[in-house]
Amino acid sequence: MRVEKWARKRQGIDPDTTTLGPGRVYILPTGIGIIFGLMAFAMLLGSMNYNNNLSFILTFVLVSLGLVSMHQCQRNLVGLELTFAGADPVFAGQAIRFRIAVTNQSKSARYGIRLYTNEAQSSMHDLLPGESKVFILPVTTDKRGRISLQRFGVRTLFPFELFRSWAWLHMNINGLVYPTPADDAPQPPPTMIAHGHRQHDARGEEDFAGLRKYLPGDSPRHVAWKAYARSGQLLSKQFAGADTSSQWFDFNEIADRNVEKRLSILTRWIVEADRTLEDYGLRMPGKEFKPAHGDQHRRECLEALALFKSGDN
Amino acid sequence: MNRPRGTDGSLLASLPWTLAALLVSFAPHVPYIPIWISAAFAGCAAWRYIIERRRGVLPPAWIRGSLALACFLSVHFTYGSISGVGPGSALLAVMAALKLLETRKRRDQFVLLFLSIFLVMSSLLREQFLWSLPYMISSILVIMTAWLHMSASKTQSARQSVVTGSRLLLYAAPLAIAMWVFFPRISTPFWAMPIDTSRATTGLSDSMSPGDISELSLSNEVAFRVSFDGAIPAPRDRYWRGLVMTRFNGRTWKGRGASISGTARDQIEVVGQPITYDITLEPTQQQWVLALDMPVSWSMSGTFMGPEQQLARSTPIDQRISYTATSYSDYRVETRLSDTHRIWNTNLPIGSNPRTTELAQTMRSEAGSDRDFVDAVLQKLNEEEFYYTLEPPPLGSNPVDRFLFETRRGFCEHYASAFSVMMRSVGIPTRIVLGYHGGELNPMGGHLIVRQSDAHAWTEIWIEGLGWHRIDPTAAVAPERIEMSASDAALEGIGASWGFSAPSRLLHRITLTFDALDAKWNEWILGYGPENQNSFMQWLGMNEPSWRKMMLTLVGLVIGIIMIISLLLMMRYRPPEKDEAAVLYQRFVRKSGLKPCTGETARVFALRVQESGRISAPAVKTVTDAYLDARYGNGGDAAFDRLRQAVGAMQ
Repeated sequence: MRVEKWARKRQGIDPDTTTLGPGRVYILPTGIGIIFGLMAFAMLLGSMNYNNNLSFILTFVLVSLGLVSMHQCQRNLVGLELTFAGADPVFAGQAIRFRIAVTNQSKSARYGIRLYTNEAQSSMHDLLPGESKVFILPVTTDKRGRISLQRFGVRTLFPFELFRSWAWLHMNINGLVYPTPADDAPQPPPTMIAHGHRQHDARGEEDFAGLRKYLPGDSPRHVAWKAYARSGQLLSKQFAGADTSSQWFDFNEIADRNVEKRLSILTRWIVEADRTLEDYGLRMPGKEFKPAHGDQHRRECLEALALFKSGDN
Repeated sequence: MNRPRGTDGSLLASLPWTLAALLVSFAPHVPYIPIWISAAFAGCAAWRYIIERRRGVLPPAWIRGSLALACFLSVHFTYGSISGVGPGSALLAVMAALKLLETRKRRDQFVLLFLSIFLVMSSLLREQFLWSLPYMISSILVIMTAWLHMSASKTQSARQSVVTGSRLLLYAAPLAIAMWVFFPRISTPFWAMPIDTSRATTGLSDSMSPGDISELSLSNEVAFRVSFDGAIPAPRDRYWRGLVMTRFNGRTWKGRGASISGTARDQIEVVGQPITYDITLEPTQQQWVLALDMPVSWSMSGTFMGPEQQLARSTPIDQRISYTATSYSDYRVETRLSDTHRIWNTNLPIGSNPRTTELAQTMRSEAGSDRDFVDAVLQKLNEEEFYYTLEPPPLGSNPVDRFLFETRRGFCEHYASAFSVMMRSVGIPTRIVLGYHGGELNPMGGHLIVRQSDAHAWTEIWIEGLGWHRIDPTAAVAPERIEMSASDAALEGIGASWGFSAPSRLLHRITLTFDALDAKWNEWILGYGPENQNSFMQWLGMNEPSWRKMMLTLVGLVIGIIMIISLLLMMRYRPPEKDEAAVLYQRFVRKSGLKPCTGETARVFALRVQESGRISAPAVKTVTDAYLDARYGNGGDAAFDRLRQAVGAMQ
């Protein structure tokens, strides 16, 4: 919209913490406000016609309340402090939830504050004096990479919904979108026992460490058949010495030639491997992540996939 | 979406407030509208609340539709029309009640709140008592609280809504007062005003038939109030002229209706001192304008004097009006009577009341002159067995004969009529004046209250050289009726014969206090029309007030007040003050040229400053100690002073 472009040009890029000045809080009557105005006008005509001083008073009290509510509505936003508080990465197709912390740096409560984007809005909150609350702005995603929120708004209808006052913010807000995990991903490459550890194989098998869910590709020798007989669930035995059993997910070894498809498959493998607490390594053109597991490892790997550019190799 | 759907209880928090707003704004209508509407209203409100409580289902569309049709037709049937204040507010109430039954969203609640505002408005068109203003303000507060409660987030408590509503109302008050004072009033309405027929009109009747069933108003309702510039005339001189009746058909006296006369005013010759006074006349739905006998000038536009010196306005008085008038108690009117007027005012239907005619002619022949005859007749009324009563027996045909010779009981109309017939029988031009007599002084307000029960009829006879001369035959029969006003008489304990019970003195005092307040209320608030506004503007120092000047003042004032409100709001939302110690310390920090790191305490920072050598070590120590003491310690004002001195010495 043209007005929004104008506002963007006028205000420039906002810092990550922005305090709303009076010059950037806009205000317009709502539909109810317009009806209220028409009603007040009709009442004024009626009062003039009947020369009825009490209905004059009623009319003027309502008109004055309208005017006061206009200022109250604008002041409800002016001075509000907004800070971008990050967003957790999501898989493409999910909605990313941008967190915006809104702080009321004043001596009075502010009521009915809501953040919104073109497609969605946050829930409504009241802010007590000095209070800070985190508002969530969900944004749908469709492809991997960095997603940025060009513009969002903060608005209020307080007190009587006769006026809507709002401000547009253009902060440097972005979040990370991982590729969608492929539903039809082929089997991940078989667990490779690291070569240097083969001689410890026998000993390793003696150090029973626990059970985990059976995954296709597990050796039948490791299946806990006794447990299967008991519970009907296929479980694989884990051995402490089998630390070295780790997977390498290699971008270049995937049969599919489509880059996005490959990334999608890798994502699925990483998600699954992470869930089973298995070590995995990722080999991308020009980049390699040694087998490991844990949140940080997962994040680094997925981030590499999310930000992968075909030109990288 | 006409399909009935279950309610989800989402309105449960705000619905009670909306219902309260509706009930508060509906309450003033209850005495005026048919009882079934009030019952339906209360019923629908309760029904709707129960539905919401039980997460029930709203009535289906066909039930609502047929209810709506039935109500609409009933209103139409009850009132015979659907326009006007009465049926209008009945319809509003019905609409609100029915709207309740299909309210399931916030938008519907807004409609309900708009309806309740209209209900408040229509109740104000109907009545404007002293308590109407505070009641209206309270209604607005309830409506606005409901409004706030509806649009606020779920965490908002009712108390918060009330507080916020009151605060906004407080901000709005000066604005509203400025608008009310300066908004230019106009005297001519845009469209014909529907008269509220649900309220019985009280006032003087246009005709009188002594002998029919007594129609004398006994109501204590105020007819008008008068405040005098100077001394208040004695009770016997308080004759308030209304309409004049000249036509008699043997039974009924009639006036000629309000008509205009170019010469009537000029026929008055005045003697003595003028009496100037302000009258606030309650609406009568009639054209007659009351004034002290005999008025010579009056301040109301569109008011004229008829051929018999009666004042009337071109349009019926459908709301309270105030005017200033000047009268003379000593006057001569129409000293030269035209032949037509003489014939009109001596006309009697042939053959009616023969015994009265005969009596009059006998008495006239016994008396030497017209004047002696008049005295003789008054003496007869005074001395013979005539009684003043408000419940006279009905009179048959030839009512004057029957009254004078048989029943001899009656009130002012009977005496005025009998006296007039006797006068006319011997060719003395006579007419009957209907108006009010007396009035009670309200010591609190310094004004006279004239009530409907003070309505009175007297006569005027034309005497050569004197013109029309007032004779009050009732005074001859019941002098106390003339010496005292009806309410005084009531207080003296003889009120029983006047038809209403005597109130206790305390109650009477309370009534008078309330009346004084009411009079001021009428004068200053309700009567603030074009004339009052004009004089108020002049009092404020506005030269030649015009709507343009008032509008400009209004706009200026509104802008000014809004700026103040804006400032107040800004103060309200200002960030908490930085404490002054911190401000002073900040100056020290600037002077040092170093930047405190996050988490660095004042002492650590002081060490760094000392190392930098830009500020002498003792100064750094004094400032730091004083600052810590003033801000965090118990140093209080003394430490604060030390800090100020140390920072000052640094420069």
